[in-house]
Amino acid sequence: MRTAIQVEERTFFRRVDWSYVIVILGLNLIGLINLYSATHGVNDVGTNRLFINQIVWLVGGWGIFFLLTFVNYELFGRAAYFLYLINLGALVAVMFIGHKALGAQRWIDLGFFNYQPSETMKLTLILVLAKYFSNKSIEDGLGAKDLIIPLLLLALPFALTVKQPDLGTAMLLFFIALSMIVFMRVKRSILIACLAMGLVAAPMVWNFGLKTYQKNRILTFFNPGRDPRGAGYNSIQSKIAVGSGKILGKGFRKGTQSQLEFLPERHTDFIYSVLSEEHGFIGSLLTLGMFMFLLVMGVRIASQARDKFGALIAVGILSYIFWHMFINIGMVIGILPIVGVPLPLLSYGGTGMLSIMMGLGIISSVAYRRYLF
Amino acid sequence: MSSREIANQEEEARSFQPRYRLLYILVLASGFVIFLRLWYLQIVMGNELRVFSEKNLIKETKIPAPRGLILDREGRVLVDNLPGFGAAISPQYATDLKASATAISPILNIAPNSILSAVKESRFKNGPFRPVRVKDNLSLDEVYRLKLLRMDHPGLNINEVITRHYPLRENGAQLFGYVAEISKEQIAKFNNKFRGIFNFEQGDIIGKNGLEEVWERYLRGTDGMSIVEVDARGRRTDAETPRAFGIKPLDAVPGHNLILTIDQDIQQAAYKAMNRDDHIGPRVGGLVALKSNGEVLAWVSAPSYDPNSFSTGITSDVWGKLINDPYRPLRNRVIQDHFSPGSTFKPIVALAALQEKVITPTTVISAPGFIRFGRRIYHDHQKGGHGNVTVDQAIERSSNVFFYKMGIALGIDKIALYAKMIGLGAFTGINMSNEVPGLIPTREWKLKAVGEEWQPGENLSNAIGQGYVLTNALQMAMAYSTIGQEGLLYRPFVVKKIINQDNELIQEFQPHLIRDASQPNAEGAFISKETFRAVKKGMWRVANGERGTARWWKIPGVEMAGKTGTVQMRSYSADQIYDKCEVRPFNQRHHGWFIAFAPAEKPEITIAVLAEHACHGSTGGAPVARDVIQAYMEKYHPDWIKAAPKAIRAPDPAPTPEGDE
Repeated sequence: MRTAIQVEERTFFRRVDWSYVIVILGLNLIGLINLYSATHGVNDVGTNRLFINQIVWLVGGWGIFFLLTFVNYELFGRAAYFLYLINLGALVAVMFIGHKALGAQRWIDLGFFNYQPSETMKLTLILVLAKYFSNKSIEDGLGAKDLIIPLLLLALPFALTVKQPDLGTAMLLFFIALSMIVFMRVKRSILIACLAMGLVAAPMVWNFGLKTYQKNRILTFFNPGRDPRGAGYNSIQSKIAVGSGKILGKGFRKGTQSQLEFLPERHTDFIYSVLSEEHGFIGSLLTLGMFMFLLVMGVRIASQARDKFGALIAVGILSYIFWHMFINIGMVIGILPIVGVPLPLLSYGGTGMLSIMMGLGIISSVAYRRYLF
Repeated sequence: MSSREIANQEEEARSFQPRYRLLYILVLASGFVIFLRLWYLQIVMGNELRVFSEKNLIKETKIPAPRGLILDREGRVLVDNLPGFGAAISPQYATDLKASATAISPILNIAPNSILSAVKESRFKNGPFRPVRVKDNLSLDEVYRLKLLRMDHPGLNINEVITRHYPLRENGAQLFGYVAEISKEQIAKFNNKFRGIFNFEQGDIIGKNGLEEVWERYLRGTDGMSIVEVDARGRRTDAETPRAFGIKPLDAVPGHNLILTIDQDIQQAAYKAMNRDDHIGPRVGGLVALKSNGEVLAWVSAPSYDPNSFSTGITSDVWGKLINDPYRPLRNRVIQDHFSPGSTFKPIVALAALQEKVITPTTVISAPGFIRFGRRIYHDHQKGGHGNVTVDQAIERSSNVFFYKMGIALGIDKIALYAKMIGLGAFTGINMSNEVPGLIPTREWKLKAVGEEWQPGENLSNAIGQGYVLTNALQMAMAYSTIGQEGLLYRPFVVKKIINQDNELIQEFQPHLIRDASQPNAEGAFISKETFRAVKKGMWRVANGERGTARWWKIPGVEMAGKTGTVQMRSYSADQIYDKCEVRPFNQRHHGWFIAFAPAEKPEITIAVLAEHACHGSTGGAPVARDVIQAYMEKYHPDWIKAAPKAIRAPDPAPTPEGDE
């Protein structure tokens, strides 16, 4: 016996993409287990405050996730430019009232929480770009005129973030915007012009735009032995940690590299090397597989979106997750330079966790509305 | 949104479809790249890296780069580096820090607590990997005893270190400076100043004074890094570093060498002269010798200190002695302290008087034993005075009254005009820290700085270099060099060349002519060659005339010209003025100046000597200057000395200073 309400409920239940939710939950679980190991030394008694914080953010993140699932994402389309302006204002404010840490001014102290506007800017940028592109009807790729506004939308937060200075986040803003632009397709002539300009500009930037220490940092990317004390040293220690995990790993909380504090920033940027050391090839691969699964499902959701805006925000958010994951893991396993980019869902951090859950929630909202037609 | 637009949207969304296929491929391809790398690290390299992580890894040790050498103008070493041994603790491997600190404390004679706190502080600030230096420059006995301890105290290292060495020891210490560990406050300041060039951290050795400080940018090298594999207790193992790391040790790159204008022979002669074995004994004061183009040949400040004691970590009692010494050995007296020029200022007043046509070279003026001006009596240093004298005789005998009259006639502003033209009252432009600018007063200056009108009586005291007039030894040497060269004022400099370790020239410094005072300046003021010559004649008489105040100090074959000066420490009543200076307590005795150039006709070298509390310029300063000029002439013009008649080559006569105020 079925009442109308039951039908509604079943539909509601069916509308949420549960396999997608389960993959995220799985990554959360791996993240928590791993963070526990990274934040608790061999002789520690009691539970670390960082670990508790992460659980609080995670719970809050899921609240936001479901809230956003049920909110029509079109709302974000309408609010996109407004949100962008507010976020831009926060980025400006951070320059004046920002909280200084590690030599950079990135946070605003909200009392209970250190808010990092450059982190939410990634999402806000995705929203405005998606909004802009969804209103354009483009058949044969973006022309030069179509690119002026998107590039301006990128340039403002990019410049403010570089100023902080937070080159990692600025670079991600660039990659996200680039991914969306490329997804929209660009006219061939523009593409060739950009390539040519890049080729001409690169040696000029190298010779005149960069300071010696910045050049050194780039050279160290390609050759860690060049600076074995700084970035090179971290990279070397991280590779030892990953490799020494072998197939099965050294076991939970038994990683010598991490427990003996050879790994720097092991609860944030180098969380994946803790995982690889303690859980080996199997654990690393399982986590990598789940990320792949999450991304593939995301692309499927995007492909089933009911409108251009939905597809574009999904693609933007996926590029956000993808670049974070690829750059972070790439750095940990020594195929990319050391940049301070956290691993989504696994690294410790409040703004990062909430932003990711927000992004995943918006994708979930796109998924929720795919059956409406 | 109209239904057509929605349909449009749908259609366009559908046009995206082929692009998603590309996205799937991109995502999976990147996953595959990561997969391959994980395979390589964990499966292929796994065993090797596991062994490596268990044996516990690599240890990095900083190899401090040797500082550049400091050489004299002929390439002889003035400052170099010596190899030695130092003790350090690696916090990451120290199992029982307290026990280790207690064990090494008696060997190194350092309190266990200060070792403990140094290690803990560094571990907190720099992390556990950075070794903490405990003591440098260990004796062989200390090295031997520490080596015995090493097995029981993991984390204790004995490293080779480089010690800065100053072979001249006390000689020129204030010029060369010294090196010591960077202080906490300096780390931030230096990292700001040398941003992008050097990165300073705790334990780094930096130049702290003199040339070592000023030329840090060039003397400092780039530190290297040695990497060894160590076991879990921090001891070296012999396994090879796995290939996966591409890690290579970095060689230290030594700093650049400085080639100075200093001549080691003249520097040694100057130091010896300042410590002359005569009735006055070792001088307290400053000496600087310039070549005519501004190159500094010698630079001595006394009393001095041994900079080597800083290189090896100065002990607190040695430091305490230096700081509490009333004659302040750390001060660079050549430029760091103001002194009244006393009578050495008279030639400058003479320049002004001649150029302003107050007198001519032949004007005869009465110079009695005192002069009444206003309500005061102004005394000469010689009770009976000097009779009627011309300007060259007045300089020769250092008549006070003659120059009192010049002061009255000129007024301070005219004197200041000419004093400034030959370099007084301004920074010399030498690239050294702690230089004082000197002071040449004017009416305007006094009104501004003191808030009072200039008093006519002050024209008298300032005309004989007392009162407000202040100079330092280097300025006086520059001024006299300008007189000697009849107008050419050169900027003094110490560093001639910077070369790298391969002897390639990095930078070369040329003499810099600040001005030619014999040519009219923007306001049309100048000092004519004739004026210079008239004053030089007087200065020649100081050393060669029958009544010259420095006539006892001659060099066979070379004539020098100069001027003595004696600076009162305070004013004395009329009866006290002629009391013997030597009976007073040392710190109340007069300062003695002597500034000279040679050869008088066409000078090559100018030297300023300030002998504090030596009572007279003629006995305190002049013999020192003479010794140095003689050393210069013996080296560079031995033929002149040889050609001199034997008779003049007499030993030092006993001078009877009749006053040379």
